[in-house]
Amino acid sequence: MIIYYISLALRSLRSTPILSALMVAAIAVGVGAAMTVLTLNYMMSRNALQHKDNVLYAVQLDSWDPNKANDTANEIPWQLTYQDAQALLRSDIPTRQVAMHRFGFTVEREDSHLRPFVASARVTSRDFFALFDVPFLYGGTWDSAADQAHTQVVVLPKATNDRVFAGENSMGKSITLNGEPFTVVGVIDHWNPAPKVYDLTNSPFADAESLFVPFGLHRQFEIDTWGNDSGWDSGSKSEGYEGFLQSESVWIQYWVELRDGEQKQQYETFLTAYIQGEKAQGRFQRPLKFALSRPSEWLRLNKVLRNDNRVLGWVSLAFLLVCVINGVALLLAKFLRKAPEAGVRRALGASRSALFIQHLIESAAIGVIGGIAGIVVALVGIRTSRHLAMGWIDTVASMDWLMMLAAIGLALFASLLAGFYPAWRISHTNPAIYLKTQ
Amino acid sequence: MLKMHNIRKSFRTDTIETHALRDFSLEVKEGEFVSVTGPSGSGKTTFLNIAGLLEPSTDGQYLLDGEDVSNLNDRQRSHLRNEKIGFIFQGFNLIPDLNLFDNIDVPLRYRGFNAKERRKRIEKVLEQVGLSARARHLPAQLSGGQQQRIAIARALAGEPRFLLADEPTGNLDSLMARQVMELLEFVNEWGTTIVMVTHDPDLARRAQRNIQIVDGQVCDLRPVTEQSDAVSA
Repeated sequence: MIIYYISLALRSLRSTPILSALMVAAIAVGVGAAMTVLTLNYMMSRNALQHKDNVLYAVQLDSWDPNKANDTANEIPWQLTYQDAQALLRSDIPTRQVAMHRFGFTVEREDSHLRPFVASARVTSRDFFALFDVPFLYGGTWDSAADQAHTQVVVLPKATNDRVFAGENSMGKSITLNGEPFTVVGVIDHWNPAPKVYDLTNSPFADAESLFVPFGLHRQFEIDTWGNDSGWDSGSKSEGYEGFLQSESVWIQYWVELRDGEQKQQYETFLTAYIQGEKAQGRFQRPLKFALSRPSEWLRLNKVLRNDNRVLGWVSLAFLLVCVINGVALLLAKFLRKAPEAGVRRALGASRSALFIQHLIESAAIGVIGGIAGIVVALVGIRTSRHLAMGWIDTVASMDWLMMLAAIGLALFASLLAGFYPAWRISHTNPAIYLKTQ
Repeated sequence: MLKMHNIRKSFRTDTIETHALRDFSLEVKEGEFVSVTGPSGSGKTTFLNIAGLLEPSTDGQYLLDGEDVSNLNDRQRSHLRNEKIGFIFQGFNLIPDLNLFDNIDVPLRYRGFNAKERRKRIEKVLEQVGLSARARHLPAQLSGGQQQRIAIARALAGEPRFLLADEPTGNLDSLMARQVMELLEFVNEWGTTIVMVTHDPDLARRAQRNIQIVDGQVCDLRPVTEQSDAVSA
């Protein structure tokens, strides 16, 4: 019978094309608007490091102003000072650890027609790639000496390799960064975590960096940061670049991989001892405080999905409800117009429940068509949002299959909600009235 | 086949209660062809709706084919209506969006027959009413007489034991009316019980028995042959 009801539904939709189009449009606009917001919220609230959520930790140390707590959710600076990062790198407790920050270089290639361009870079220790499961197309990370010595090597993402070397295996080839030659040691395959969990301080929804260079290059290139470097002890920054490196400015993101609770406990003991040692030397004057946050906690602490987005999600659902109420009125008009036919069907043996199901399936058919149209509306909405955000939400402004299915599901639910009362009304009309007067 | 005892049907508004049928008792035997006449507003259609299980009575007992149907729920009444009762209406009541084949298919769908069985029955009744060649036409493409023949075909497709006809020739010219009446008589000869509401005294006389309803009550149950001019609406 379901197939029969579906065929009746499609026939009914064809018989009243304008009314049907209005209902589909009401559902499509409501679902499209809701799915635009819900998709962005869903994509923003994803955890790209979910598979390593129980072993990765973002490290925070409270080296902040003794007179004023830092203005973060847990009152500990998001980032570390350079000197603390260097000290932590010396620990052999974590399975892997990475100190890093964002920077940028001018990229050139000798003997090439490539026009110089500015590219964002991640200055990082070598464990970055293994710690965040970055896939390599060619080669691999640099050796550990490069994180301490000045070794001019670079890892290129596939997109940069395509641009600079036309996609060929560039291992061992040279690329010029800020006028200095760098040797390519690895090319990574497509990798673009969204949100960019490893660095939420620099636009969590922007693309991953275009270059990766070793953490040992700071002094040679006087690398500072393309990001936040706030500090509370402004005095030391005036002592030149070395002063900056030794200052209380926080600008280094730090992650560790700890395989189990025991290792985590060891590392916490190590951090406690480190802070106590620094306290003895006059630093870390606030009460001893540090934090190790899993990626999921890190996303929550950083409020990647802001309250505004949540409110917007509810507003979009309220708009969908308005569309559903419109759908109720349109469906009621459509179904009551067909009351004589319902009367005939009752006379021929249809029960009230059979008529109810038949009309509910007609509502569902409108929902499915409205859902498909809603996906198109949502794709347009997401594309527009992406355009308006000018690159800030590029990695999350897309709709995956799950959200497309969710759009159909939402449209189905909305249409069934809209169709429930009209279907009930038509199934409970007195058939005798229409049989005599039709 | 049909036995009603002290049936009462009343409609109530806030201030007034109207009795459409009261102390209505009637028996129709299997294989009978009964005509029902009476003035407008006498309760003929209400009787037909109750007999066809489209409306429940307010009070009284109704036995259909020996089964007390007074207290059945909607699903049971619908099942019984589909299985045992065929309807023929004055306005034909064909579904305009469905072609003739699909119109006849409607009651068979609710009966749960498989596609092969439905096709067999539809082709058979279409042949019986002489409209096999028009199976894929829409009702609007047929004359009134042809539409009524399709309505009869639809009523017969489920092989009901009881046919309820409400002014079946009311919208037809005399030639068409005669053809439809002959078809009903043919159906009755094959054993189907028919109750036909009509205003036409000539048609009423062609039934084996005429029942007159006045003010919601049966007032004449004699066979047609014993009635003289009583059969007049």
